[in-house]
Amino acid sequence: MRGRLFALAGRLSRAFLPVLAILFAVPMALADGTSPPHGIAPLPNDEPVPHRWLPPGADNPDTGPSDVIFPTQQIPLRFNHAKHLGKDVGAACKTCHPKAYSSERPSDSLVPSGVVCDACHNSDHDDLSHVKPGDDASGQCAFCHLGYKPADGNAVAQLALPRANMVFDHKVHADRNIGCPQCHGAVDKLELATRDQLPRMAGCFSCHEAPDAASRGSAKSACDTCHIRGADGTGIKTLFASGSLSPPRWLHDAEHTPDFIERHKAIAGDNSQFCANCHKEDFCTDCHDGRVRPRSIHPSDYLNMHPVEARMEPQKCQSCHRDQSFCLDCHLRVGVSESSPADARESGRFHPPKAIWSDSPMRPGHHGFEAERNLNACVSCHIERDCVACHGALGVGGGFDPHQNGFVAGCRTQFRRNPRPCFVCHEPTDANVNQCK
Amino acid sequence: MRPFLVAGCVAAFAALGAPDARALDAEVTSDTDAQFYDVRSPTGLTVLQRDRLTTTLGVGAYHLLDAPMGDLSAPDLSFRARVRYDADYGAQPGTSDPTNRSLFVPGFQPGVVDLMYAYLEGRRFLKGALGFKLGRQYVTDVLGWWAFDGGEVSVTTPYYFKVEAYGGLEERGGLPLSTPRFESDGVWRGDRGNFDSQLYPSFQPAAIAPAYGVALESAGVTWLHGRLTYRRVYDTGDTGVTEFASGLYGPSVYSGARISSERVGYAVDANLRSLGGVKAGLVYDVYRAQVTSIYGSLDAYLGKKVTVSADYDYYVPSFDADSIWNFFAGEPMNDVGLRANVDFDRHLSIAGSAQLRVFEVQTALFDPFSGAPAAGAYSPYPTGAGGEVFPTNGHPFDEIGNFSARWRDGLTTMLLRGTGSWGDEGDRVGADASLDHVFETRYIANVRTGVWQWQDKLQPDRDATSFDYVLGMGYRFALRSQAMVEWEHDINRLVGQRFRLLAKLAIAVGP
Repeated sequence: MRGRLFALAGRLSRAFLPVLAILFAVPMALADGTSPPHGIAPLPNDEPVPHRWLPPGADNPDTGPSDVIFPTQQIPLRFNHAKHLGKDVGAACKTCHPKAYSSERPSDSLVPSGVVCDACHNSDHDDLSHVKPGDDASGQCAFCHLGYKPADGNAVAQLALPRANMVFDHKVHADRNIGCPQCHGAVDKLELATRDQLPRMAGCFSCHEAPDAASRGSAKSACDTCHIRGADGTGIKTLFASGSLSPPRWLHDAEHTPDFIERHKAIAGDNSQFCANCHKEDFCTDCHDGRVRPRSIHPSDYLNMHPVEARMEPQKCQSCHRDQSFCLDCHLRVGVSESSPADARESGRFHPPKAIWSDSPMRPGHHGFEAERNLNACVSCHIERDCVACHGALGVGGGFDPHQNGFVAGCRTQFRRNPRPCFVCHEPTDANVNQCK
Repeated sequence: MRPFLVAGCVAAFAALGAPDARALDAEVTSDTDAQFYDVRSPTGLTVLQRDRLTTTLGVGAYHLLDAPMGDLSAPDLSFRARVRYDADYGAQPGTSDPTNRSLFVPGFQPGVVDLMYAYLEGRRFLKGALGFKLGRQYVTDVLGWWAFDGGEVSVTTPYYFKVEAYGGLEERGGLPLSTPRFESDGVWRGDRGNFDSQLYPSFQPAAIAPAYGVALESAGVTWLHGRLTYRRVYDTGDTGVTEFASGLYGPSVYSGARISSERVGYAVDANLRSLGGVKAGLVYDVYRAQVTSIYGSLDAYLGKKVTVSADYDYYVPSFDADSIWNFFAGEPMNDVGLRANVDFDRHLSIAGSAQLRVFEVQTALFDPFSGAPAAGAYSPYPTGAGGEVFPTNGHPFDEIGNFSARWRDGLTTMLLRGTGSWGDEGDRVGADASLDHVFETRYIANVRTGVWQWQDKLQPDRDATSFDYVLGMGYRFALRSQAMVEWEHDINRLVGQRFRLLAKLAIAVGP
């Protein structure tokens, strides 16, 4: 009885196996023919990678890592990380990238050679001029090398993986048990790994927040911890064939926007060392102690229009010019200053007519009001004698009092620390000075 | 002299135990600018012919100490110096001759040589804790730009702050190899070495100015930074003290060490990547017992491409304590503004801002000893509330607007900039457009044009509209070395046609 049952099963199986094969194989073949090949993009159909799988620090939406730090790559390969790191293959990162645990420089090649693939794909990459394909489809050259044609022999498209323009020591990070996903994201969920799986600067700062003097091994935040030092004395090198570096918006709000020149004072005033990472003093002093009019600040024909702006925004002038030297020197030479030498060329009266400018009663345009608003403008042309002549206690004006409101309250301290300006206008025996002694 | 200086420094480092400084980088740089243009008065008269030559020579020697490959914590030593020669060959000889009373301008020098900076810098000594600078150097912080000869030491702690102390002599105009650029304003001062002591008593003699400062600064954390800084500078030597106009008293002199400036400042910024940031700063003038500067900015990041900000800026002019102008009544400026920047893509960015300037009105006339408003003896503008208002030409506020757009792609940059400002002192409106391009990585071309219009409220006959264009070309013969020539033509009704020729040569030899 048992023998007949086995015989029946054998006949049925022989009869139905081809049918079963057809039932499964045809749809699979059809499916293979219509679905895109896997492993040529991070996700099938070039779907965007979910933000949670991207390297830490990636923007949302993400625009990839810096083009300057990580120049454009060409990866003419088909590879499925998810499959290799999954249960089917069971590989780990280290299986194919063992050098990532010992590499100390970004110039090290961490991409596995074909020999690593040979173990499973039955190919032979020992001699790259005579690579032998494996027996099955997964061992054929075209299985991994995109665009491969048998007629090309052993010629395959080359990978172009320019070195990263940075300083990086994989070993230091691996030794501290920093896992690959901590910098590269969830590569185990992806097929092909591209530039998008390279680290983002913002992600580095999740650890690199320690000062220089922190214990050795701590993640320091100094720029040259990760950026290449400038050989020309700058803190870091900023100019590369792939472009030039400039700070991101989220770093001290120092994005070099078109109006950065107007707002950089707050950043440089707080942390000039931050600027000095990329700029030498020369860059700054070209404007702040410059001798050539910077076009980015002063437009052409500025000589003729500068009086209006100098009166309106003296605080801006002060950031680069000293009134009693830079401005006064020139104003004395051209004859616009009251103290100009006799033969200095006359430029015509600068101020409004005397009846408005200095006569009583005070009215709009009177120099008293203008001086209150634009004292720097006065100082750019006048020496103190010009003011003391009238405002001095014994001046011809009989001492029109120029002091600000509440002056006496603080004048004792000022007199004690430097009485010189008091004596310019007041005699030492002046009763008014006695109030400040 | 410079080659000997460099050689001397290198020899000194070698003697200090860095015989195999394999990482050493050295460079020599030079920038030369020749400018030729007229200065014309609003009457059209040419009042100065300027034939200017400015040339600098810089040397640098970096990474003077040998460091194991990859050891980023290793101490680092570098030396850097720059000397400048600035001359105006168009100046009349009498301008710098003290015996020529009809032309002489005290303080003017037709050719000045100054040492911009020259210092030895050490970093990361004592396991990253110690840094120092020795020599002529700059200090840049919320107190502004400043230069001195001396030493600076900073100690960085593992506790997220560092301490800095420095001391020396402020760079003062009139002293050897120095310019007055970074000393406090308000004093007409310089070298009186070849003057008759009775001449030009208003022009004060330069003297050394001892100074010191300390700062406490955060370190390490990148999303937050603050710096608290204090600096004191002394005036020394003689200074003229004269009732200049009365004729009752002869020139007299005040001597002795006294405060030149004493200020404390604090600046801070904080940023959160997905939200925005805040920046603020404050300067308190201890001598004047007054806050002289406050600024603040609040930035909001609206998505990845748009930033909007609100700004505040408060400013009061302040001067050297030797200056009488510290005690003149002044109206502090209060600027409030809104600003926005849009990064359309990696090529195109546009920014714009609008500001309103409000003057903090003090009483115009008052009794300085009681602090109470005076009884309106001179002013016809009483408010009726016991105070005086600041009279205007009908424009109590200033309004300012800025617009800028930049498109760049590799070696091409296009800029458009516009500014408008309207106020009691005058109006100015205009725009510039420029295009810079480098052909084949070495041929430089630039073109710029602009139209500007201004109205001077104090001198209406000085109103004008100006059209200008600039044509430039150059050749880049190495990465940091290039020669440029620019031709500028300005046209306005006041001065007619003005021309400016600018030739630039930059040379860098080094890594």
